[in-house]
Amino acid sequence: MSSVRHQIGLDVGALEARDTEDVVVGKEIIRHRLSSRVIHWLVADFFLLCAATGLPVFSPVFGWLGSLFGGLAVCRVVHPLAGLAFFASAAVMFRHWSQEMEMTAQERGWVGPKLLEYLRDEANHDQIGKYNGGQKVFFYTAALAALGFLGSGVVLWFPLTFPGVLRQIAILLHNLTFIAFFTSIVFHVYLATIAEPGTFNAMTRGTVSKAWARIHHPKWYRELTGSGK
Amino acid sequence: MTANLEIVRSSASTWGGASGLRSLPVVSKYIDTSICIGCKSCEVSCAEWNDLPPVKTVQTGTYQTMPETHAAFWNLIKFREQEHEGGFAWLFRKDQCMHCSDPGCLTACPAPGAIVQYANGIVDVNADQCIGCGYCATGCPFDIPKFHEKTAKMQKCTLCVDRSRLGLEPACVKSCPSGCLHYGTKEDMLLLAAQRVAHLKKTGFAEAALYDPPGVGGTTVVTVLAFGNHPEWYGLPKDPSIPWTVKLWKNVLRPFGFIAIVGAIIGAFGHHLYHGNKGHIDPAPLDDEPPQA
Repeated sequence: MSSVRHQIGLDVGALEARDTEDVVVGKEIIRHRLSSRVIHWLVADFFLLCAATGLPVFSPVFGWLGSLFGGLAVCRVVHPLAGLAFFASAAVMFRHWSQEMEMTAQERGWVGPKLLEYLRDEANHDQIGKYNGGQKVFFYTAALAALGFLGSGVVLWFPLTFPGVLRQIAILLHNLTFIAFFTSIVFHVYLATIAEPGTFNAMTRGTVSKAWARIHHPKWYRELTGSGK
Repeated sequence: MTANLEIVRSSASTWGGASGLRSLPVVSKYIDTSICIGCKSCEVSCAEWNDLPPVKTVQTGTYQTMPETHAAFWNLIKFREQEHEGGFAWLFRKDQCMHCSDPGCLTACPAPGAIVQYANGIVDVNADQCIGCGYCATGCPFDIPKFHEKTAKMQKCTLCVDRSRLGLEPACVKSCPSGCLHYGTKEDMLLLAAQRVAHLKKTGFAEAALYDPPGVGGTTVVTVLAFGNHPEWYGLPKDPSIPWTVKLWKNVLRPFGFIAIVGAIIGAFGHHLYHGNKGHIDPAPLDDEPPQA
């Protein structure tokens, strides 16, 4: 079947990736099935919408972003609704990936020294499975950020409902969450695009090359291909 | 109402709005709580002049019209009964926006031009720019900016900027029958207050003082208190200033955020310049077979 598809020039990898992942198709490995990718992009797009409507409130130098939506008053209406959508999609994402993202004892080191080792190209990749510790840390960062944004955001949404001191704290928490999360996103995007060619494809078509898998996720590669060392 | 009035500070502005050339006298409203008779004519004239809709009164157990000022009720006489050593005081204070020299509402406001401070000291709200986020209220140490449920806009006393711009006194001052309210330059009002405080001190109020709190850079509305050492008896904060949370947010967290995010972007590109692609191996020979060890 698959060879027939090959012959008529169909994108076999992408078609297979509609509902399967962690399988080898020809020279490629399917890393993210369609549902995984859709969830990821929903979270990403809702976050971008939140950022674009929130940054003009963060600082007037981003006023031009607010103009894209028709001004700050529109942002004030859109931002909390986009925030709810972001939280809902992040909750679905958390459920979707939480099993695969369970951290082992060794991976805890990725919060500190191991991440730096990795960035210095000094890390031993040999035992890295489908996700490395850094990816898992980012996964939990996103989950915490979603909670932080929601908790503080609801307080800020309704000026008449909450006491002033709580609102002062909520402003600080909302800002702090944004700064921490956005800084992480910069590295997330960097590592998934220019830093590691071939990675971005995993979130678009859903596939990666065997070579990519062997370099970045050798344990995962071995499990899927059954190859020894 | 900005015509003829120079703006010296504007909320969420990236650059100052003032030309810096014109020098206008700072105006002031003087309130003498020791003369106020609690007649509430200021409340009525305020609503009248500013064309405010009627707001339902609330029985608070005193003569007070409602518990606190409202988005459509900017001037409220606060009635307080205070027992103290040597007696009992029945205190009336006209509560309203104090028009701080260092306004917390303006500092906290994220909407450009929604709150402005004129060269004459008045802090004003431009409803057309207001987005109804309520951040101003978190910055105010006097709990003055109020959010209107129906219009979703913040409103407060404007010190009758439309009148003062033409050289007229605010409506409340115009209607005050007891001489408790005066309006003029801040310099003149401070002189008047000094005389009045000296008089009160001579006539049995040793602690009489003028309330012009330095924590917010002084206020445009100054209040003579017979019990000057106890502003809290009048419902005034003892040493008001912009809440530290708002200062932390604007002066520390926000610049830190810019540095962190720009730093991360520079760091990421720098990493790529220095390290190149991570795990870069020519994938061609690896496509089908593992490398030979």
